[in-house]
Amino acid sequence: MAIIDILVRYFPSFNTALGATLKLTVISLLMATVLGVVFGLFKVSGIRPLKLIANIYIDIIRGTPLMVQTMIVFYGISQVLRPLGFSWGNIGGAYTAGAVTLSLNAGAYMAEIIRGGIEAIDKGQMEAARSLGLPYGKAMRKVILPQAFRTMMPSIINQFIISLKDTSLISIIGIRELTQNGKIIAANSASMVMAIWVVVALYYLVICTMLSKVALVVERKVSYGKQ
Amino acid sequence: MESSKISVQNLKKSFGKLEVLKGISVEVAEGEVVCLIGPSGSGKSTFLRCLNRLEKITAGEVIVDGHPISDPNVNINKVRENIGMVFQHFNLFPHLSVKENITLAPTELNRMNKEEAEGKAMELLDRVGLHDKADAYPGQLSGGQKQRVAIARSLAMNPDIMLFDEPTSALDPEMVGEVLEVMKQLAADGMTMVVVTHEMGFAREVADRVIFMDDGCIVEEGTPEEIFSHPKEERTISFLNKVL
Repeated sequence: MAIIDILVRYFPSFNTALGATLKLTVISLLMATVLGVVFGLFKVSGIRPLKLIANIYIDIIRGTPLMVQTMIVFYGISQVLRPLGFSWGNIGGAYTAGAVTLSLNAGAYMAEIIRGGIEAIDKGQMEAARSLGLPYGKAMRKVILPQAFRTMMPSIINQFIISLKDTSLISIIGIRELTQNGKIIAANSASMVMAIWVVVALYYLVICTMLSKVALVVERKVSYGKQ
Repeated sequence: MESSKISVQNLKKSFGKLEVLKGISVEVAEGEVVCLIGPSGSGKSTFLRCLNRLEKITAGEVIVDGHPISDPNVNINKVRENIGMVFQHFNLFPHLSVKENITLAPTELNRMNKEEAEGKAMELLDRVGLHDKADAYPGQLSGGQKQRVAIARSLAMNPDIMLFDEPTSALDPEMVGEVLEVMKQLAADGMTMVVVTHEMGFAREVADRVIFMDDGCIVEEGTPEEIFSHPKEERTISFLNKVL
């Protein structure tokens, strides 16, 4: 009952926070997809310097916690670049810093997913495309990537779910998304702590479950003409 | 020499330390059908794949249609438009319909607009006897049908030369005939063809010249009659004894 009470009483505030969480997730994932495609292609390019750049990026992101990455992006970068007149405050504040961090973070994982997806496609596909006279880029875009994306879809949606939950960690720099919102409410009503955090959890649970369902539908949609 | 469609001089190819082709020289005239036979691992497929540079050439000279394929500065994409290739495992694009498989290259490379390419695709499907499969996906076709689509796909760019890399080796026996039939038709139409094959019957019937390769070298070449009925080399004789 306490849960319903909390839900009703703080409904507008939770919904605003949910909006922030979703916005952060969607923006980050769009950016991450771009980063992932670029660095994933770097990794399969066979061009050493590009591969090296991609490897360094991916290793750094995978080898450090998201929360530390957030600190470095938000506090570290603003300290280092302040002499140049830079301030997160001028470009959307913690919110932007959070989105940048999450994009960079998810981008590295996406790059690995995309690399794996491309490498899973039979070598003969590239050979057939190239022997028709298609240049590498066109063969990639028209033949390899469309197939790779189908096989990658489950992993990509899984990454979406992870990134969505990772927005919670970004609350550390003061973005009022779902988790931060819960913290603020809980600070003002100590007797309802359990109910408040259960409500927060339910919000995440509902969106993530919906995403998984979407994943199932998409997976079924993309399995083409095979019997 | 000038009239050669394909001219290969002392071609060598190594994978790391392993030398797969040890100096191959071949001339193929316009309209000629050349069949490459030999035991597996003899370098036949590698040789074929050097002709459109799917394999990097280690040493030697390959000139196809006047273009020096072995020259790193040659626009290889342009040259490949003119060389069709058919693979053992078909390599059809599974995410595209049969028609889209055929129209992809001509439209993407601005050879034809969409209508022209589709018209051409239907004409080619007619030719390989698969008119009714235009909207099917590769996953819905039998092996023989897939290979015939693959042939139609490589013909869509109007190539002068067709390379076949064991086109019937992955097929169930009852489907071999339909693919060979299409190839015979192509040969009769005057296409320059280089065919790596284990189908000795096909080589004997269709080839103008048969080349027997073993261990990265050409051991013997001649007309089908010479190779199959009067082989001179010991290795040719022992190979033919095993397969015939």
